[in-house]
Amino acid sequence: MNNILYVDLTERSSKVIERPDLFSKYLGGPGIASKLLIEETKPGTDPFSPKSSIIFAAGYLVGIFPCMVKAVAMFKSPLTKNLGESYSGGHLASALRFAGYGALVVHGASENPVMIKIVDDDVKVERADSLWGLSPLNVEKTLRGHYEGIQSVMSCGRAGEGLINYGNVIVDRFHHFGRLGLGAIFGSKKLKAISINGTGEIPLEDPLAVKEMYEKLYDEVINSENMLKYHYLGTSANVLELNERGTLPSRNFKESRFRGAERISGEAMAESSLERKISCPGCPVACIHLAELKTGFAPEHEKGRKEIFPEKVLVPYNYEPMYALGSNLLVHEPSHLLRLIYRCEYLGLDAMMVGTVLAWVTEAFEEGLINLDDTSGIEPRWSDVGAYLQIINNIVDLKNPFYTKLAQGLDVASEKYGGEEFAMIMGRNGLAGYTTGYGSIVGQLVGARHSHLSNSGYSIDQRALDQPIGPDQIAKFLINQEDWLYVLYSLGTCYFARKIYTKEVVCAVLKIMGIDQTPEGLMQLGKEIFHNLYRFKIQEGFELTEEKIPSRVYSMQTPQKKLDAEKMESIIKYYIHKRESEGLQLRPEEKALKELLSFEG
Amino acid sequence: MRFRIEVVHPERCIGCYSCVYACSRHLFNTVDPSRTAVFLRIEGSITNPFIPVTCRFCKTPECAEACPKNALQPLPEGGIMLITSRCQGCETFDCITACAIRALALDKKTKLPVICDKCGDCAKYCPHNVFKYEEMK
Repeated sequence: MNNILYVDLTERSSKVIERPDLFSKYLGGPGIASKLLIEETKPGTDPFSPKSSIIFAAGYLVGIFPCMVKAVAMFKSPLTKNLGESYSGGHLASALRFAGYGALVVHGASENPVMIKIVDDDVKVERADSLWGLSPLNVEKTLRGHYEGIQSVMSCGRAGEGLINYGNVIVDRFHHFGRLGLGAIFGSKKLKAISINGTGEIPLEDPLAVKEMYEKLYDEVINSENMLKYHYLGTSANVLELNERGTLPSRNFKESRFRGAERISGEAMAESSLERKISCPGCPVACIHLAELKTGFAPEHEKGRKEIFPEKVLVPYNYEPMYALGSNLLVHEPSHLLRLIYRCEYLGLDAMMVGTVLAWVTEAFEEGLINLDDTSGIEPRWSDVGAYLQIINNIVDLKNPFYTKLAQGLDVASEKYGGEEFAMIMGRNGLAGYTTGYGSIVGQLVGARHSHLSNSGYSIDQRALDQPIGPDQIAKFLINQEDWLYVLYSLGTCYFARKIYTKEVVCAVLKIMGIDQTPEGLMQLGKEIFHNLYRFKIQEGFELTEEKIPSRVYSMQTPQKKLDAEKMESIIKYYIHKRESEGLQLRPEEKALKELLSFEG
Repeated sequence: MRFRIEVVHPERCIGCYSCVYACSRHLFNTVDPSRTAVFLRIEGSITNPFIPVTCRFCKTPECAEACPKNALQPLPEGGIMLITSRCQGCETFDCITACAIRALALDKKTKLPVICDKCGDCAKYCPHNVFKYEEMK
């Protein structure tokens, strides 16, 4: 577990370094990865230079207790030009652990396409010319072998190869390092794929205590109401729930209800298309819902004959792509939604960011900011899936200057063409699907990786419906959540199991592993991880007070009515104040001082 | 009492490996997906259904017949018992290759085949009742 595997793509070499100092303090996942990212990345490194590194780290308790399944990837993001942090389930974390590593660091870059093949301590960098250009879906089939133990295969698609800033990495076919452009980093290194096969063991110091605790936690996971949601419909259940509450973004966040919600709801998908559910190794929940997308054979396959048998592919679906490529684009036909998701999967694109981009394109076209010359003759219209599929292809093909701008992100595109007010990005990352209120917006603004899962901001909005919650309380909630989630992510805990792994349970579990911790000590650890990441962000030029909130946010319909800019500002101020009182200097010093003087004056 | 385990609903398998991890915890007090008597196989691609496999407790076990040292003793109720002293120093591992469904793994630490002891933990920890665990009549 204390081992870090370093692979150098330039030299095609590898080495293992033991770092018990690091693991005993930071456990695993983002705790370890944040330290390694800072060690590995010189200030101002170009994300696409051979000097930028990718760090993968498995959670500390992966394989040992239920729902401990996650691995993190940290890198310099090409999309945000800052911290890249993304989490994936699938077989990856387990394969790394069983291969004997706590983390994998990839350095350098290759001139020709390569892949990394790891079977325990046998590490090879091999040529991958024949894989270049293949969909990640086919790479998985190609590299899946008859291995003992657990194997994980991840790869970028054509989007990553072409340095599209939101190209993703698909892990074991149905899981993703979805956000912030890890695929493009793979592409820049000419790294097509990584296959990891672990056949070793995770030794247990006190097996009897582990067994006892495992049984208890397993029963809770299986029987708990909290986890049942993820098993039955998965997060796709949110479509109807959020629509009923008027918090489901539609028409690029102009509306908060979608008339077609019922048709693309989790319930409807389960009825019409759900084919299978699958799990990550070590989790009995099976939250990954796979729909069967049936399409007619393309005429060129038919040599003039008519085929009545449909083509079938499996498409993973969950709430976020359903909002991004469904309700937000007014796509109400399940098969259309699945086609859009599948196109993103096939090319290796972050489906959420693609949704954000398509919504902006549609509105910018409506507003006359872009025209048919820009779009190469495509008319983007709400719910027009044919046009959307072509636009996605054109982005990946960098078809013309307009699509090339889109490929770089909406900050770049809206700077050139206008429409910043409805470019639904914060920290350059596309927003998640919640028009719930202040918590969701500020949460994504301040979160280290600008994700709704950074600090569950949307969930305090729900509470705000029952009782008024002040700006200071919202700020405090976001801080406590993000600090605590860094503890859970460092252990490998799935976000969905956060209610099982309370502070008390985590302390008990760690005690079995020979680690004495208190809830306060853990919170301090989470805080330190957050501070480390934020210091990296600040080093790379992030300034929270300079970050823009798209003005559309203030005309959004939320259950708390229209959001008030002053209240938003006030939450952010409280947040900065609290974080700075922890010793994390969020603003450049002269700015903080000026503000203090003007306040006292 | 004699028990028997059977894979009765492979189509329900979600690939969670709870059975595999439970087996290695039970048999070896560890977590090791290759030291186990229950297997979860992925053939070709993860898009294909998972294939859970356990010992079939054959009446005339191929693995026992293949062993040149008669180290695997067939049991009257089906299945096998390992006579460890006879198994030492084996270099051919004929038993492993003899099983048509590859339900026998070689423990890479001890160089002995891993034999299911019918504890039922795989069934206990399966969230979808893929296995049937019952007393033999």
